[in-house]
Amino acid sequence: MFALLEDTGFKRVRSTVVPGFTFRKESTRDAAEAYGVKAVLFTAQKPAT
Amino acid sequence: MTDVALLHANEQAPLEGVIKGEVLRMYQEVAEHPEGEFHFYHGRQAAELFGYEREWLDRAPPGAVASFAGVGNPHLRSRLQPGETVLDLGSGAGLDSIIAAWQVGPTGRVIGVDLNPTMCRKAQAHAATSGVRMDCHEGRMEDIPLPDASVDVVISNGVINLSFRKRSVIRELFRILKPGGRLSVTDIVSAKQLARSIVNDPKLWAS
Repeated sequence: MFALLEDTGFKRVRSTVVPGFTFRKESTRDAAEAYGVKAVLFTAQKPAT
Repeated sequence: MTDVALLHANEQAPLEGVIKGEVLRMYQEVAEHPEGEFHFYHGRQAAELFGYEREWLDRAPPGAVASFAGVGNPHLRSRLQPGETVLDLGSGAGLDSIIAAWQVGPTGRVIGVDLNPTMCRKAQAHAATSGVRMDCHEGRMEDIPLPDASVDVVISNGVINLSFRKRSVIRELFRILKPGGRLSVTDIVSAKQLARSIVNDPKLWAS
């Protein structure tokens, strides 16, 4: 996502992991952990000109 | 699009339709039966976990709070100002739209876009109950039904990951934002390429 935003032309792209995000079901949580699944807050700006 | 990409897209097309249906079904289920159990935390418990202000959650319609199915809090960095026009991409039951509407005030405007027309009606009803206006359009995030350079800020919460065509979604966000416009989006990402068995499982897409 970060790269997609930059490739598209967005500037000031920033990302922060969302603390506390997890899946409720243990089986999903385990699979998500194995694949490094995280929730992330992205911010970006379209250039002014 | 390259030949390989086109081949991949064609191969994925039937699956995309199935997954779209499953995603619609899942989020409608959360909205209509928020007391149910889902793969993800939802409702007030999730919103509090992500740092939504309690005052917001107390003030918003209970139905909008109970159906909240986001993965974070885009308001933490949205810096919304009175008078701004905001797009809530994948507006669901409307909680994020309502919070945005409170921040942009009566001179601002909040527009929701959701794949599901039932959710659009629900979000608009919740907004009306809250005393704010929200215009919701049924539409796809890969083809957002808004003019070029018409929005100051895009917020979105756990939605873009549901698209097979994320590059198209990001291009659309760039198109509809005004010059100098900004986005604050929370979403799910994975560090590793997911196994085909996961990618091809509609129930996991809707998780």
